[in-house]
Amino acid sequence: MRKTSSDKSKTGVSRRSVLKGTAAVAGVAAATQLSGGFPTVWSQDIKDLTLRSTGGPWSHFQLLENMANEDLDFTVQLTPVGLDEIQKRGLTQTGSSDLFEPAYLQMKFFWPTGKFQPWDTTKLPEWDTVVDLYKAPGKIWPDAWFGQGQNPSTVSYTSGPDGTDFVEPGSTQWLTAHPVLHNADTLGIRPDLIGRPIDSWAELINPEFAGKAALVSFPTIGLMDAATAFEAAGELTYGDKGNMTQDEIDYSVDRLIQLKNDGHWRALWSAFNESVQLMVNGEVVIQSMWSPAVTAVRAQGVPCVYQDLKEGYRSWTTGHVMPSHLEGKMIGAAYDYVTWYHTGRVGAMFAKQGYYVVTPDNTRKVLPEAEWDFWYEGKPATVDIYDPFGNLMEKPGTIRDGGSYKNRMGRVAIWNSTMDENKYLTRRWAEFIAA
Amino acid sequence: MVRVITSVLRYRAALQISPLSLALLFFLVGPVIMIMIMSFYEFTGFMTVPDATLENYVELFTSSLTGINYLQTLKMVGITWVVTLVLGFTLAYFLVFDLIELRTKLLLFLLCVVPFWTSSVIRMVAWVPFLGKEGIINKFVLWTGISSEPLQFLLFSEFAVFLSYIQIFTLFMMAPLFNVMARINRDLIEAARDNGASGIQILWHVIIPLCKPGIAIGTIFVVSLVASDFAAVSLLGGQRVGTVSISMIIQMNMAQYPPSSATGVILLLVVLLIVGGIMRVVDVRKQL
Amino acid sequence: MRRSTRTRRAPGYWPRALFFYLYLLFLYGPILIIAVLSFQGPLASMTFPMQGLSLHWFSEVVDPGGFSRQDFRMPFVRSLILAIIVMILTMGLSFLAGLAFRKSFKGNIVIFYIVVASLIAPSALISLGIGLGFNELGLQSQWYTGALGAHLSWTLPFGVLIMLAIFSRLDPSLEEAARDQGATEWQTLRNVIVPITLPGLIGVALFGFTLSYDEYPRTSTIVGEFNTLPVEVMNTINIAATPVIYAIGTMTTLFSLVVIFASFLAVYIIQKRRTGAGLGIARKAAEADSS
Repeated sequence: MRKTSSDKSKTGVSRRSVLKGTAAVAGVAAATQLSGGFPTVWSQDIKDLTLRSTGGPWSHFQLLENMANEDLDFTVQLTPVGLDEIQKRGLTQTGSSDLFEPAYLQMKFFWPTGKFQPWDTTKLPEWDTVVDLYKAPGKIWPDAWFGQGQNPSTVSYTSGPDGTDFVEPGSTQWLTAHPVLHNADTLGIRPDLIGRPIDSWAELINPEFAGKAALVSFPTIGLMDAATAFEAAGELTYGDKGNMTQDEIDYSVDRLIQLKNDGHWRALWSAFNESVQLMVNGEVVIQSMWSPAVTAVRAQGVPCVYQDLKEGYRSWTTGHVMPSHLEGKMIGAAYDYVTWYHTGRVGAMFAKQGYYVVTPDNTRKVLPEAEWDFWYEGKPATVDIYDPFGNLMEKPGTIRDGGSYKNRMGRVAIWNSTMDENKYLTRRWAEFIAA
Repeated sequence: MVRVITSVLRYRAALQISPLSLALLFFLVGPVIMIMIMSFYEFTGFMTVPDATLENYVELFTSSLTGINYLQTLKMVGITWVVTLVLGFTLAYFLVFDLIELRTKLLLFLLCVVPFWTSSVIRMVAWVPFLGKEGIINKFVLWTGISSEPLQFLLFSEFAVFLSYIQIFTLFMMAPLFNVMARINRDLIEAARDNGASGIQILWHVIIPLCKPGIAIGTIFVVSLVASDFAAVSLLGGQRVGTVSISMIIQMNMAQYPPSSATGVILLLVVLLIVGGIMRVVDVRKQL
Repeated sequence: MRRSTRTRRAPGYWPRALFFYLYLLFLYGPILIIAVLSFQGPLASMTFPMQGLSLHWFSEVVDPGGFSRQDFRMPFVRSLILAIIVMILTMGLSFLAGLAFRKSFKGNIVIFYIVVASLIAPSALISLGIGLGFNELGLQSQWYTGALGAHLSWTLPFGVLIMLAIFSRLDPSLEEAARDQGATEWQTLRNVIVPITLPGLIGVALFGFTLSYDEYPRTSTIVGEFNTLPVEVMNTINIAATPVIYAIGTMTTLFSLVVIFASFLAVYIIQKRRTGAGLGIARKAAEADSS
């Protein structure tokens, strides 16, 4: 793969290529002097630029593109694709975009390729307002859990401008990815069909729910959910569920196969839509879910709870990575874009979808207080709660399940991870599918 | 003189075939070579490193998973093949021999094609309201009392995958059969009938042998379509059915491009061998 | 003609007819469900029972406004353009290849097996391979370059195999007769071969269009920065659980019905005109050749 890393876009829009050539010198100046805020001196120059970003459809959509193009002097163009495609395009078609927004669990695939350049925190004016989760010592608040697996801070820093390694959080000014969004996943349940309180991950493997439980089909995430359940049921204490040994993988996969043979798993799902359908159609009464998926189930009039569990949450986060082909003014545009992203307006928009942009203090400045209280504080809604697309989400009086921001992100038991035994795990997972 | 003309003719054939050859050279042979190279690269666990190694193949051939995957794939291919063959043959027979007017034949054939323009993903998702626990069929089953429990095997099962395969791939068997049947000289059938052959004898000794090339082409279509599918297995099989393609996609999604490429290269070779076998039995080109 | 149909039904006609129409039902069943469910109101699920009745989801597709999550319009246009280009190229290349395969030129077996391999090659890998190839050349694959090629690698085997079947049915004596009458090569091609193979060519075109329009695995990685419709449909599945994809499905089906019947009408008119011109041979050939 390294061999093919010289994929500088030569066939891109001709306007861009020309610009690249003529403005390289001025561009370097722009990038090095950019001190934050919105471009002023160079705004004329960068007017004709187009910054392309590729990421999940949950964060790359028309509304955000319109907002960016209202506020910024250059054109922002968002390309939505699935998580697997972000990785495939990012690793093999790096020239197809100027920014990628992978999940942090993919960072161990992205970063060592050397196809990406780090962000310099000294040129990111809003960096101070980013939550401490991405800085040393990897805790969003001092009393928060560090969590097993790949804590985001552990893959956030690299040694230098040309680094392809990961170093101690905060030990350099070089960021592998600029964090964008995070949220916590937990078990979603159908309270009407279960009829009793659920408070532990162990319920995922409870024989009571045989044929009515589902699992995420993404190998590491599915396995981590299962391991969390096995551990909660007292079967095995893992060293690190987010970075299992071969023996731990063997135990987990063997148990998964056993459960499969007992008809425990109704299905494995890979897309948002599938997880919602499984719940709405009564195929499944318990499975790990995204919080917006739970909301989508309820939007169709089916009771569904994003269940707070005593073992805590499994959490994920995404970040912008910048390909090495960016130079000069394009780098400036990229810095401007991520800076703008975290000034509050975008954060407020994402909050209304149930996601958290990593600069909550700025979000708070923009988000109306009633909505802040609902989304972040876990208080009952006092007004109608709308999503950013204008759909009514919740009526006054409802409380967001899963509780406050603090309750979720402060109690992350495990982070979506790529394990050292990635290769072994993948093969064993394929055996589970084939069993 | 004759030699000059034949050489010109040969040259003309070369000209005629060159656009196709070029297209396939760039967009098939080239990419396959890239994949073959990739399959010899080393995968460290996170990264692809361009160091030649046989490891990917060694692992592929020593893993017990490979055998299980191929058995499953073979099973999917085999069952789908038999069902689409019977279905496709009957449908084509109806279109060709039972309908007289060309217009009706064409119209009905086109009606079979239309659903294929709706995204296959959407068509698969649409099976859920049919086959699910609370789907139409299960509502009916519970209502009639055939079973007191909803039938779970209908969805997220091999059954659901087969259903989708049969729905989608029958056309690929039917179309070539339709082609060859339309070419059968009716006089042959009449002659056989005049000689006292029964309907079944005519079918077995006249029609089916003449349909062999169509069957062969349809088989090639169906075998390759089933062997490389992963969408249906994933969406309707609930990812509980492990085929070779599924293993390949899992590897690919975990950024394991070299092992994934090795799996793909071997799959390509295996299916090519199967097709080669079919071609030995029926020379599609000669008999067409 | 109609009379003769009525008078002589082969034994087993009715069971086979029933079978055929049941198959059509099986084929259209999910499509009908999609169509019905796409007319629900704004607060709708993807299954029965229906929630309200409106054109809401169609308007989401046609005019999503600035507040939407997805805009399907440009991806649709791209997919349409791509499918038309692929259709034309598939038709042309397959036709020429069909002509070539009538003579046994050097390397015909190799090319034939490459055509078959193109059908078999795992789609996701072709996509990866084309992308890597473009990287090696220092180019960036786009929907109109790399993805176009990927589509051709998928449609050409179908086109070539169908053309092989059609040309094998073409009686060489027809061409000889034309040549004996003093027709040039070009005239023979234009006035004899093309008209006779036209219905088959239209079949190839249909295959080419259909396969390209719905292609996802060979396309997704190498479309560049602009998505095609199948990629966008896949995105919908990643963020929404609403009937919006049903609305897309319904619109696609309606659109295809219109196009298919337009082309059917075209074939019909062509044949009628041909009959009118008194080209008896061609008519007879077309009659035998009903794909």
